[in-house]
Amino acid sequence: MTTQISFLLNGDEISHEIKDHWTLLHLLREEMGLIGTKEGCGNGECGACTVIVDGLAINSCLYLAIEAHGKHLETIEGLAATDGTLHPIQQSFVDEGGIQCGFCSPGMIMSSKALLDENPKANHEEIKHALAGNICRCTGYVQILESVEVARDQISGPISIQEGRGECNE
Amino acid sequence: MKAFKYLSPESVEAAISFYGEHSETAKYMAGGTDIIVKVKEGWMEPDYLISLKKIPEMNNLYKNEATGELSIGALTTHSTLEKSLMIQKDYPIIFDAVSNIGSLQVRNVGTIGGNLINAVPSADGAIPLIALDGVALLHGPDGERSCKVLDLFVAPYQTILKPGEILKKITIPPQPPHTGSGYTKFGRRAAMELPLIGIGVLLTLNSDYKTCIKARICLGVAAPTPMRAYDAEDFLLGKQITEEILNEAGNLAAAESKVRDSIRGKAWHRREMIQVYVRRMGLKCLEQIKEGR
Amino acid sequence: MNNINPDTNQEFRVIGKRIPKLDAAQKAMGRAEYIQDIRLPGMLYGKILYSKYAHANIVRIDTSKAKELAGVHAVLVGEDVPKKMKMGFYKDNPPIKKNKVCSFRDEVAAVAATSPEIAKQALDLIEIEYEELRAIFDPEKAMEKDAPLVHEYHKSNVLNLPWHLHYGDVEQAQKESAFVVEERFTTQWVTHCCLGTSGAIALFDAKSNLTIHTNTQIPSLAQKDFLESLKAMGLENKRVRVIKPTIGGGFGSKLDTYAYEHIAILLAHATRKPVKILFDREEEFKATSTRQPTVIYIKQGCDKNGKLTFRDMRMVLDNGAYTSWGATTPSVMMMPITSLYRVENVRFDAKCVYTNNTYSQAMRGYGNPQATFAIESTLDMLAEKAGIDRVEIRRINKNQPGDRTPQGFKISSCGLSECIDAVQKEIAMDKNEKRERGIGTGIASLIHVGGGARIYKSDGCGAILKMDDYGKVDVFTGGTDMGQGLDNITAQIVAEELGLLVEDINVIHSDTDVCPWDVGAHASRSTFVAGNAALGAAKKVKQTILAYGSTLLDLPVEDLILRDRAIFCPKHPEKTMPIDKLLRKAHFSPQGKMLMADYFYDPDNENMGKEFKGNLSVTYAFGAHGVKVHVDEETGKVTVLDYVAAHDVGRAINPLLLEGQVYGGVIMGIGYALTEEVILKDGQTMNANFRDYKLFTAKDAIKIKAPVVETYDEYGPFGAKGIGEPGCVPTAPAIANAIYDAVGVRITNLPITPERVLTALKEKKE
Repeated sequence: MTTQISFLLNGDEISHEIKDHWTLLHLLREEMGLIGTKEGCGNGECGACTVIVDGLAINSCLYLAIEAHGKHLETIEGLAATDGTLHPIQQSFVDEGGIQCGFCSPGMIMSSKALLDENPKANHEEIKHALAGNICRCTGYVQILESVEVARDQISGPISIQEGRGECNE
Repeated sequence: MKAFKYLSPESVEAAISFYGEHSETAKYMAGGTDIIVKVKEGWMEPDYLISLKKIPEMNNLYKNEATGELSIGALTTHSTLEKSLMIQKDYPIIFDAVSNIGSLQVRNVGTIGGNLINAVPSADGAIPLIALDGVALLHGPDGERSCKVLDLFVAPYQTILKPGEILKKITIPPQPPHTGSGYTKFGRRAAMELPLIGIGVLLTLNSDYKTCIKARICLGVAAPTPMRAYDAEDFLLGKQITEEILNEAGNLAAAESKVRDSIRGKAWHRREMIQVYVRRMGLKCLEQIKEGR
Repeated sequence: MNNINPDTNQEFRVIGKRIPKLDAAQKAMGRAEYIQDIRLPGMLYGKILYSKYAHANIVRIDTSKAKELAGVHAVLVGEDVPKKMKMGFYKDNPPIKKNKVCSFRDEVAAVAATSPEIAKQALDLIEIEYEELRAIFDPEKAMEKDAPLVHEYHKSNVLNLPWHLHYGDVEQAQKESAFVVEERFTTQWVTHCCLGTSGAIALFDAKSNLTIHTNTQIPSLAQKDFLESLKAMGLENKRVRVIKPTIGGGFGSKLDTYAYEHIAILLAHATRKPVKILFDREEEFKATSTRQPTVIYIKQGCDKNGKLTFRDMRMVLDNGAYTSWGATTPSVMMMPITSLYRVENVRFDAKCVYTNNTYSQAMRGYGNPQATFAIESTLDMLAEKAGIDRVEIRRINKNQPGDRTPQGFKISSCGLSECIDAVQKEIAMDKNEKRERGIGTGIASLIHVGGGARIYKSDGCGAILKMDDYGKVDVFTGGTDMGQGLDNITAQIVAEELGLLVEDINVIHSDTDVCPWDVGAHASRSTFVAGNAALGAAKKVKQTILAYGSTLLDLPVEDLILRDRAIFCPKHPEKTMPIDKLLRKAHFSPQGKMLMADYFYDPDNENMGKEFKGNLSVTYAFGAHGVKVHVDEETGKVTVLDYVAAHDVGRAINPLLLEGQVYGGVIMGIGYALTEEVILKDGQTMNANFRDYKLFTAKDAIKIKAPVVETYDEYGPFGAKGIGEPGCVPTAPAIANAIYDAVGVRITNLPITPERVLTALKEKKE
């Protein structure tokens, strides 16, 4: 029950033999050694394993690898530039204190990226709605939400207060 | 996780034929967000997973402008519904329910059909479809048949689907003018909740904007399967809707619910939440109707 | 507070700056390696089989089928565990149980196999026959005469622990009090929910020395535990090396060693291969420990002016079936009980009682949140009874610098008054102010150790510092970073002292082979103790640099300072020498020298004596929290609208990370107050997942303000005190007080669920 699949991973064409029952998380972590994507619960309840498939944030622990065939995958490993320059979202998470223990961070950053790719002017409530599936125990989310807002402003330019900044930034 | 073979037919007929080949050892899969957990945990041990994702007709979401009928392919994801402007505008009760199912990651993959067929008492997806008089179209080895969405459910985790049968789509008949609808789930936090209780209310008023000519009060987690509070609905018919009347409807709905204690909540509290939220959702309906005036 | 370093009279360059966490970029890129990410050549995977009963005899255990399964290398049962291998300070917990199980989390067998899947299959093949015994789950009932004994050998379910103190005369003071209140409170099991689950990899070298990669907050004490295990296994005089991977959250959960670590050691020894045990989320919920649950009986009184006259508290603690640090939380509960506000007559008695439930451990605040919940809730009750404003009663009784509390704590710096000011500034506490229906505000204060806590023979931490030829520094610290930011604090302190930039400092905290001893990352002590250790080492190196620089530049030592990566004389700015140049000159001269220093800082605090008197901490942290809530009177649901958490931190070494500690602590505290609970039904965990264990999500995130009060503590590194725990200490009572303010019901049981609020509202109406 093996199948050859091919997909775009962070822009690179990948062809990989997989077993049908492998989750995408298993393929990434255990078979390809891409440890950036984390497993926090294995049941889609924490978001640590979030990756982006065809522009949508998904839990890779609940997504079969075989279904990635022909799709465009983005993982945390693909965010920084090849010269090591961090993506604006990564940079803002670093600068604004969005990262403590760091275990939720790759998933949190990927959820943020999926959101800002689709909605570059996401307001405070939209950010909270989009990140609700990513559990963090360290930060109380305050600095994470600030991080996403700073990244958004970096990416989209400043937006009006009414549009964006929410309660946590007053 | 137990090994299985993944099959991805491109038509309903092909899917049914795969099922015929493997029968008991095969399971259909929609989005997979529930079934993968079940296989991982060993609660389900299929040799074949038949994915329905590649069947085009099951992925459609459209409104027939001529008849006003809404057709929701069973493989429509919760996100697709949540993001649809048509759903947001014309079917607020669907939007209310699907926009708070699980996480965004789950909504991006999980489907309305999967949510129904999974048949957990706490499924949010069923309530609005029942309130909207949704009809489920089933397709199996013996051909097509249809039933009310309400009648899909037999018991927790159990539907009327026969072996090999597939839920193809849900259709929603056109809604009369002066209709408002809303759904809420009562939980302890703002997201990632299975509802302690789910309450959906739909009201249609006649052209006087006062008299109720249609009422649907649908409850999740209030019984082993999703239910309609018929006593409450009947009570509202023909009445001029006020807060007091809605309050009384809430009392009736609470009384006819079959709530029970669980680790998630106590029966008495669930009953009271039904009472409170039937009124609150009813008021929301009135507001929508007023706004649409 | 001004921004001038009192030592140099120069403006701080690094201290007080919002410097991002040093490992944040690595983590943002997904490159940090957690235990989940480590795979050693030839590694086997271990899995643990748990009990099916809360209380039962093991009649028969048959592992033959499991042993025959291809890929299985070892199967261990209780018989295979050396008799003296027992965990916890009470030594009542063998890593695998023999003959009898006393809780659902009891380990009954373990397997090592070539894959996790095979190990799991092997567990399913182990046959165990149990004979169920009568179990006991209520600690108060477990104290009754006919209650079943959890451990027969112990003769009683009540542990032999000394938790009793009485200062002054509580009985007399009560008679003389103008107002007295009395109440019973209960607090629940909650758990740490570290996003990175627990795990360890153990391996032996050819000489039977052990290396263990493990998530721990106590590398040195864990090393000691593992050495004891080796000794029990007949491996005497061996070495144990503890390597910490990046830790995916601590919060106290990693303050004791767990069965899985000792089982990994046993399996690695049995197979002579590296063995990894990694918990899944369900195991993390079921088989790691909780915050200590309590039943609290409290009486407090005051005179007619609102001055506290006495405080009398009695507690019953559900110890669970085994004993870990949960049973020692009364030693920390004593702190708020005797020393939160001025109160002379104090009595406290706590009993830890065995039950067939899960056992508890350390968790952020270590008993303080439980005790403070009762104290601060009843203080509001007392204020109301005495007709005194709730803020006023706190001001009347506030702690002040120079106080010596009944327990013998010496209050050096104390910003409690300023913290109360800060709360009042942000959240209206005036009861007469007009508010919308269902809206209320509440306040509660805290005291916590802020300068170490001498609960062990040593409260020390070592640091070793070495400089290279390029002006870069390696600091080997005993302290532990688990995400809270000790790496930054260490680097900032060293950089400030040596006139360097933070990026010049590399902090190594991950390996007992190279890092010196430390008692552990607990008691909010790392900034203070590990910070002082690093500062001590930096000062030594600094002296050497200045002395050498004085010779090189031909200037008196006292005229020289270190700044901007150079040695510098303000009087002769032309005579500057870059530090790297100086280092190379020192190294590459005849009789050359490298600059290195070590320092062991053991704070001047005291072990608590017989009557629990003694200055536990060199300094104490204070704070006050204020909250505004909305209570939905129809549903009972409480929504937190505004939150302010003001803390006296001595000095903020890094406000960015400090705020992170406060925000995280507050949300953990709000979860404790409102949503979180490990639900046990007849000893069995019913909600071992993130769906039913209700952590706040980003959508629940609330507005938190975290004003910082800087009192500059003379003993702290650059004046700093600890801040790791205080954020979650007074949260629950602040919220309970706000609920009372909003709708007039006093909730005495945590968590404050909608059901409980609604029940109380109904009772009030009747």
